[in-house]
Amino acid sequence: MEFWLDLAKGPFFRLCFAIMVLGLIRIFLLDIWGAFKAYRKAGDKTMPWKLVLSRGLEWFFPVNRVARNRPVYSIFSILFHIGLLLVPIFLFAHVKLWEESIGASWITLPYDWAYWLTISTIVFAIALLIGRMLNRSSSFLSRKQDYLWPVLLLIPFFTGFICAHINISPDSYQFFMLMHVLSADLIFVLIPFTKIAHCVLMPLSQVVCTIAWKFPPETDEAVCSTLNKKGAPV
Amino acid sequence: MKTTLITDEERQKAFKSIRKPEVIERQKLDVRFHIEDFNISERPRRFLEAFAAILKNSNYKMALDHFIRMSAKCSRCATTCQVYQATGDLKDIPCYRSELLLSIYRRHFTIGGLVKGRLLGSGYLTDDKIQEMAESFWNCTACRRCSLECPSGIDHGLITHLGRYILSEIGISPRALVVSTREQLEGVTKNTSAIPVPALKDTLEFLEDDMFEEKYVRIKFPIDVENADYVFFPAVSDFLMEAESLMGTAAVFTATGDSWTIGTGYFDGINYGLFYSDRMLERVVKKVDAETKRLKGKSILIGECGHASRSAKYFIPTYCGGKDALPVINIMEYTHKVWKEGRLKLDPNVVTEKVAYHDPCNIARQRWIIEKPRELLKAFCKNYVEMTPSGDKNICCGGGGGTVSIDEIRPYRTTVGGKLKADQIRKSGCEILVAPCANCKKQLRELVEDQGIECQVVGLHDLIYKAIIFDDSHIEKKVAQSESLPEEK
Repeated sequence: MEFWLDLAKGPFFRLCFAIMVLGLIRIFLLDIWGAFKAYRKAGDKTMPWKLVLSRGLEWFFPVNRVARNRPVYSIFSILFHIGLLLVPIFLFAHVKLWEESIGASWITLPYDWAYWLTISTIVFAIALLIGRMLNRSSSFLSRKQDYLWPVLLLIPFFTGFICAHINISPDSYQFFMLMHVLSADLIFVLIPFTKIAHCVLMPLSQVVCTIAWKFPPETDEAVCSTLNKKGAPV
Repeated sequence: MKTTLITDEERQKAFKSIRKPEVIERQKLDVRFHIEDFNISERPRRFLEAFAAILKNSNYKMALDHFIRMSAKCSRCATTCQVYQATGDLKDIPCYRSELLLSIYRRHFTIGGLVKGRLLGSGYLTDDKIQEMAESFWNCTACRRCSLECPSGIDHGLITHLGRYILSEIGISPRALVVSTREQLEGVTKNTSAIPVPALKDTLEFLEDDMFEEKYVRIKFPIDVENADYVFFPAVSDFLMEAESLMGTAAVFTATGDSWTIGTGYFDGINYGLFYSDRMLERVVKKVDAETKRLKGKSILIGECGHASRSAKYFIPTYCGGKDALPVINIMEYTHKVWKEGRLKLDPNVVTEKVAYHDPCNIARQRWIIEKPRELLKAFCKNYVEMTPSGDKNICCGGGGGTVSIDEIRPYRTTVGGKLKADQIRKSGCEILVAPCANCKKQLRELVEDQGIECQVVGLHDLIYKAIIFDDSHIEKKVAQSESLPEEK
C-alpha cells in the first residue's frame, strides 16, 4: 500500500499535474490564438471592452444573478465552487506538501474553515447532483460527465475529510489516502479534456462571443466560391 | 418573470401546419413555414459541405471550439427562454437547440469527434437531425436573452444564427424572407415591400400634405438631396404601415433644420440577411452604404427598426471599410441629441395615457440604446411606467429573428413566442406601448389583438409627432389666417 501511495503522491501526481497544467495552457492558448486570428480577419475591429468586461465580471461575482433564476441552485453552486477552490489550494497539509516539494508556500486556511468548507463542499456537491437528477430541464440536458463529475469531485473531499478528522486504523488511513490522491490525480488529468476546462476558459467567453459576431469582410464571395454558387440567384 | 404553460388547445393552434401534405412529402421536410422547392438529394452531405465552407470563411470556428470545451449543461438558459417557458417542451431549451449543431461540429469537424465517430461508427449527420434543426432554429426568436444567463457565456443566439445560415445554403429558409430579400437584391423595386419609386414619392407627398393640414408647417421629406448630413433608411414597410413614425422623423428634422434625405436609388433599411444568411446580410448592408455614398451623405440614419439598426450599426463597419466606414446612428439617438441641445421642444400635455416602452432586442441586448428613448418619453409623457425586466434584459416581443415576417406562424408567435411579453404588457397596465421597431410593432399589435389586451402599439416618433412644438417661424397657419381674415370680412 505504501509503495502505491508513494507512487500516486510522487511521480504519478507530477505527471497528472503536468498534464493538467499543460492541457489547460494548451486550450487557453488555442482559445486566445483562435480569437486573435478571428479578430485579425474581422472587418470591424472595434471592441466594446466595457461591455465585455462588465458581463464577464458579472459571472465572476454572480451575486446579482443569484436571485433572478433558480436561486437555490445558484447559491449551492457558488458555495460549492468556493469550497472546491479554497480547500485544495489553501489547506495547511497541501501547502506543506508544496513547500516540501518545491519550496514555495502561501497562506493557509484556519483549521475550522477547512473543516466546514470540506463539509459544505461535500453537502453541496451531493445537493447539486440530486438537483441535476430531479430538475426536469437539467436532467434532460445532462451527459454522463455531468453526473460523473460531482461524484468524482466528492471522492477526494470525502476521503480527505476521513483522513484528517476521523480516527481510523493506519491501514485504513493509507487506503483512504491512496483513494484521495488517486482521485485527485484522475481529476487533474480529466480537467483539460472536459467541461471543467471552464476554470481557465470562462474569462475568455465574452471576448470570444464578441469577436465571433465580428465577421470577416467579403465572405459572400468566398462562401459562394467554395460552394460553386457564384452568380446563383438569391 | 415567469409565465404559465400554454393549454393543449393553444398548443394545437400554435403548432398547426398550414402546408399541404403533398408539399411536405415532396420536400421531405416537416416544418411549419413555407419553403421554396429545393434540391432534396443528399441533404446531410450538402449540409456538411455548406458547414465546412462557412467555417472556412468566417469566424464561427473559434466560437464553436470554445463552446464545446465549456458547455456545462446547467439549464439556466431554460429559465429565461420565453419559448421554453410557454411550451415546456424540453427541446426548446436553448442549450439543447445549440447542442444540435455543436454535436455535428464536434463529430465532423474536430479530430476527437472524427476518431470517435470512426471507431464507434456512430454520430453521423442524418436527415432527421436536419429536420429537427430546421424546426428548432425557427422556433427561436433569436432574442439572445439566454446568452445573458449562461454562466459559461455561450451565445446560443450565435449558434441559432449560424444554424440558419447553413440551412439556407442547402435551400431551407422561410419563403417569406427569401422572396423579400430576392426582391430587395435582384428585383425591380429594390426593396422588400416592392414599393416602386413613383409610389414612394406619392406617399411622401401625401404625408407632407397631411402634416400641413394637421400642423400648418411645411414638413418635407427631402428626396435625393446630395451632401446631406443624414441619409435615411427606415424599415421600408414604414412607408406603407407606419406613416406616423415617418411623419415624426420628418417633423423633428423640420424643427431642427438639419439636412437629411431619402434616396430613391435604395431606401430600405430591412435586412433579413441578419436572420438567415450572412451572405445576404453582406449584400444588403453594401446597398445601404452604396446609396449613402451615391448621395455623398455624411452618415447613415436608420429609422425605428431594431434589426435594421443592428445590421447597419454592427455590419457597415464589417463589410464597408472598418474604421473608415460611414457612421451609423439610429433616429432615436438623433432625436435625443437634438432634444438635449434644446433644439426640440415637446408638449407635456398631449400624451396623457399610461405609456410604457418596449426595448427591441436588437437595439438593447448589447446595451446600445436604452436610456435615451426613456428620457425622451419621460420628458413629455406624464404617465410613464416601466416594464420589468427591461433594457438589455428585456423580454422579446415574440416575433424576433425574422419570425414576425412569416405570416403562417402567427398563431405560434402570439401564443408561444409572445406569451411572456403579453403577460408583461398586461401587468404594466399600459394604454400605449412604445416599440421603436417595425418588426416589434407588427408582432405586438398581433399579440395584443390575439391575446385580447387593450393597448395601442406605436413608435416613439408617433408620439413625438403628436407632442412636437414648432417655433412660430415654422407655422404658416397664422400667416394664412391673417391673410384670409380680411377676405372673410
